[in-house]
Amino acid sequence: MPPAPKKRRRTPRQLLRGARRRTRRAAGRARRVFWRSLQLRVVTSTMVISIVVVAVLGVFLMQQIVRTTLETRESAAKSEAQADRNAVLGYLNQPAEAAKQPVESGQALQPGGSSPLSQATEALARRAGSASRYSVIIRNEGLSGEFYGTTNIDPVSIPARQRDELFKKEAGEDSTWYTPLYYKGQPDQPVPGMIIGTRLDTWGTRLDSSYEIYHLVPLDKEEKTLASVQQMIILVGAGLVLLLAAISSLVTRQVVTPVRLARQAAERLAAGRLDERLKVRGEDDLARLATSFNEMAANLALKIHQLEELSQVQRQFVSDVSHELRTPLTTVRMAADLLYDAREDFDPMAARSAELMQNQLNRFEAMLADLLEISRYDAGAADLDVDSVDVRDVVLRAVADSEALAERHSTRFDLRLPGEPCMAEMDSRRVERILRNLLFNAIEHGEGRDIVVSVAADRDAVAVAVRDHGVGLKPGEESLVFDRFWRADPSRARTIGGTGLGLAISREDAILHGGWLQAWGSHGEGSQFRLSLPRVAGAVLRGSPLPLVPPEVEMRRTWRGHMTPVLSPAVADGGRDDD
Amino acid sequence: MTTESARRAGTAILAVTLVCGVSACSVIPTGGKSVVAVDNERKGNPLGDPYARVIAMPPKAAWSPEEVVTGFRAAMASPDDPDFQVARQYLTGDFANKWNPHSGVTVYRQGDYEKFAPLREGDEHAQVTLKGTKTATIDQDGRYRPSGGPLNQPFTLAKGAGGEWRISTAPDGLLLSEADVARGYLPVDLYFLDSHWKGLVVDQVRVPIDPAANFAKTTVERLLRGPSSSLKGSVRSALADTELIDVTTENNRVVVDLTRRVDPDLIDPMSAQLAATLTALTKGGWGFEVKVNGESYYADTPLQIDAQEQSNFDPWTTPDTVTSFYLADGALWLLDKENVGRPVPGRAGQKKSGLTRPAISGQPVQQVAALAQDGKSVSVAPLAAGGEWRVWATGESLIQPSWDRYDTLWTVDRPNDHTSIVTRHDGDNKHRYRVSAPDLETLYVKSLKVARDGVHVAVVVKDGLGEQVHVGTVIGERENTRIANLQTVVDSEGKRTIEDIAWKDGKTLYALTGKSELLEASVTAEPKPLAFDSRIGIESITALDSILLAGAKDDQGNRQVLYWTSTKWEPLVKNETGSTDFTENGPSAPAFPLG
Repeated sequence: MPPAPKKRRRTPRQLLRGARRRTRRAAGRARRVFWRSLQLRVVTSTMVISIVVVAVLGVFLMQQIVRTTLETRESAAKSEAQADRNAVLGYLNQPAEAAKQPVESGQALQPGGSSPLSQATEALARRAGSASRYSVIIRNEGLSGEFYGTTNIDPVSIPARQRDELFKKEAGEDSTWYTPLYYKGQPDQPVPGMIIGTRLDTWGTRLDSSYEIYHLVPLDKEEKTLASVQQMIILVGAGLVLLLAAISSLVTRQVVTPVRLARQAAERLAAGRLDERLKVRGEDDLARLATSFNEMAANLALKIHQLEELSQVQRQFVSDVSHELRTPLTTVRMAADLLYDAREDFDPMAARSAELMQNQLNRFEAMLADLLEISRYDAGAADLDVDSVDVRDVVLRAVADSEALAERHSTRFDLRLPGEPCMAEMDSRRVERILRNLLFNAIEHGEGRDIVVSVAADRDAVAVAVRDHGVGLKPGEESLVFDRFWRADPSRARTIGGTGLGLAISREDAILHGGWLQAWGSHGEGSQFRLSLPRVAGAVLRGSPLPLVPPEVEMRRTWRGHMTPVLSPAVADGGRDDD
Repeated sequence: MTTESARRAGTAILAVTLVCGVSACSVIPTGGKSVVAVDNERKGNPLGDPYARVIAMPPKAAWSPEEVVTGFRAAMASPDDPDFQVARQYLTGDFANKWNPHSGVTVYRQGDYEKFAPLREGDEHAQVTLKGTKTATIDQDGRYRPSGGPLNQPFTLAKGAGGEWRISTAPDGLLLSEADVARGYLPVDLYFLDSHWKGLVVDQVRVPIDPAANFAKTTVERLLRGPSSSLKGSVRSALADTELIDVTTENNRVVVDLTRRVDPDLIDPMSAQLAATLTALTKGGWGFEVKVNGESYYADTPLQIDAQEQSNFDPWTTPDTVTSFYLADGALWLLDKENVGRPVPGRAGQKKSGLTRPAISGQPVQQVAALAQDGKSVSVAPLAAGGEWRVWATGESLIQPSWDRYDTLWTVDRPNDHTSIVTRHDGDNKHRYRVSAPDLETLYVKSLKVARDGVHVAVVVKDGLGEQVHVGTVIGERENTRIANLQTVVDSEGKRTIEDIAWKDGKTLYALTGKSELLEASVTAEPKPLAFDSRIGIESITALDSILLAGAKDDQGNRQVLYWTSTKWEPLVKNETGSTDFTENGPSAPAFPLG
């Protein structure tokens, strides 16, 4: 029994990194969704703008309401305070007039020990009504015992700075402070409130002017009201923003849905489904867009059909011509063979002509064969005869076939084959032909220098690269080399007698295998052709075991410090792997 | 023409639309009814009406001795400072430690300082004397008792190191003016239960106002502390084993939050106690709810108490079926709603000479007890068909008998001028117990009335100084009964005699003097003269709550029953012809049940 897999402990840093990675990925996803969805963008911007507008309006509104509420309360409290002051003055003044005579032994005492100030305070307590309306504190610092309050207000509620201000101001002038009020029995629950303090204006009386009267107005009810108003404003604001978002979402949807349908239709059209059409509803701009789209699609389909027909006609023509040429060519060939066999009986000029004719006939035949082959491809009639073979054997066979030509060009092959077999499912005849073509091409353009043939394999693919050190290719020629009858230098003569179709056929062969045939070349550095094939027939090729650019060139470039753009595989193989 | 009229019509429509629109936009709606309910002022405010209070201020260095004493008096009156920290700042260091502010309160009137020689430079001591009249005392229990006598209170002051005056001697306890007491103390009627857990007994106390708590909380807190010493031993409290957390108001109810549930049998008595005690604050407008630790009293339902629960619990607190009785022609009559009398059923309703001073027992079995003219016997007859007179008590010199709420008859015999024997007749006179009353036994008891709460007893005694009215309480049952806690409510005043007494309710009683003067007396106040009409001779009185009846005799010896209209006496009983004149052998000796 295998041991239970031990759960891997992760360090916090790893966890953090993981979280960060996940966040980044999620952010990336969100960003992608955001930039892909027009609707989301419109809704988001609507929401952001409406939030700003609603917030500004809400704050403004709230400030107005708060100010109005407090101003109302303050003015009411001030008028009450004014009335209370008059009442207090009345109480203080009246006995003072009556008690003029016995004021010798210090202080005048009132009947029952009740001083006028305490009577005034009691009157104020009655006037103030229930405790929640307001409390009053009256004191006279200069007179002992003259310090009264109503209800359970705690005198510590009065800030010292307000008292200072009071004594700086003229008597009778209000000083209003917003401050927490403390009540006896609830020392930890101050109530927001307002204190209106005044020194009693005793001008014209015989009282001293240090009577302080404070009206302590609790504003908890106002606060509750304002809090509920604020809550309401926030609620309504949030509702408004959501409503706007919903509206914008709805409106954008009406525009975006047809656009999205049009995009999907265009995508399908691009994928080749030429009969794709949009539904036309109504007569608005979007309906007209759909109409135009449909017209465009119809025109495109027509043009493509015409082109396809034309191409078909051309291919048929080439195929027909090749076939038709074959019959007379056979006759010509027989006649030419006769002439060639009897050339020794001819005079030298005629013999030379017979030889020439024989050569050109060979070439003509090869060309016809190639033309027929390629027209088979065009007709889609090419079949693979798949078998599992060792690529090294195929390479060796191709090299053996090319030995004679190489010797003629005094060119040597440098084979770099891996030690173990490189098995792949392929049609060995076609692959051998590809390699032969590549080798012939390399010999032809190799200018007698060594040709390097490398083979490599990985789990999914095998690759063969053929490298020559000839003149190389000019930039942009990498894809042209596979065109039919393309010539690097039109003035150069074909020495080996290639038909001009070899590389085109090779490429068709490679594509038939689901592989790539790619070229790299640089002027003065030679060129390299790489054939990459999947190990299993029909598998999709994702990469090649060999680099397209020879490693030594790559290294040299890196040393020089400037990179030449490397041709990406996708461009060269034309993306037609899955055809 | 047509276009003109059309334009005019258009303008009119526009104007109407505008007016409608603008009026619809007005912020304050006009028309329609408000659904906002505001508490009725008359409902009372259980959390307390606004009040003014003295805030203690510490002394200042520059104050003169009088100012220091004035400040000290203000500090003593301040409810903010239960430990009198500020007041102690007025005292010298030594004296501040000795001074005990908790040994009761002396209340005075007309406080003024005695004139004294002006201070000279360098004086180290000074004396300030507060003069006035003592009016009452409040003891530690909160009992407010009127008292008299002059106030002559010296304060000695010493000069401190900084030249400031501090008080070095002052009396223990607090010295408060009447205004201070009115401001700083809450008069509270606490209700407790009698020994049967059936009757509510009032205990009148003063509670210092606590700014940190509302009035209802202060009151309930005091209720939980138990009765004052004037009721010690005679009452019980259903709330004895619990503590108070808070009293709040919620949904028109006063919520009393306790720490512990009471015995299930005591839930009704507790409810009655709370309702009766708080009714002075709620004025009957608030219901009550009892919670325990902030949760419902019962697991599933709250314990809600009716605003008038005390009346349901003890009907005698507010008796509503008021039937009065009176004697006429030697028979007992019953006064119906039209103030026309009819004889009571049974033998009591038939003429029998020689009966005076009837006393009617309470529901459900009503009986009448009457004193023989010679004072030698007390007879009882049921007020039902076939009810016969039976002699319950005989003696040398009996007084008018008195029923209590449990159908026990109380009689007093006076073998001589300085002996009085109080007897209770329980269970239809099956048991007679001598009541121990050490304070009364050596005196001449002229009258004894048990109050409707069954606990308070009012007694008129005559001694060498004159005649006085005392109020005491009944403690114990059967043979262990005694009358104790006697307090004087009407002091003797020269040759003034007290002819009759009648309980108004559990705390107030009326006393009739020999000069037909009527006094309203209670333990918490000086007797207050109520009525004086020398033209009418009043023989006896009876009272039930706000109704006060009197038996009167005019100069010709004709009699009638009068009722008090709060300003004067009016004749009450109508004869067959609807006349209310005084007649010979007319209505006399009115009596209410338990009166």
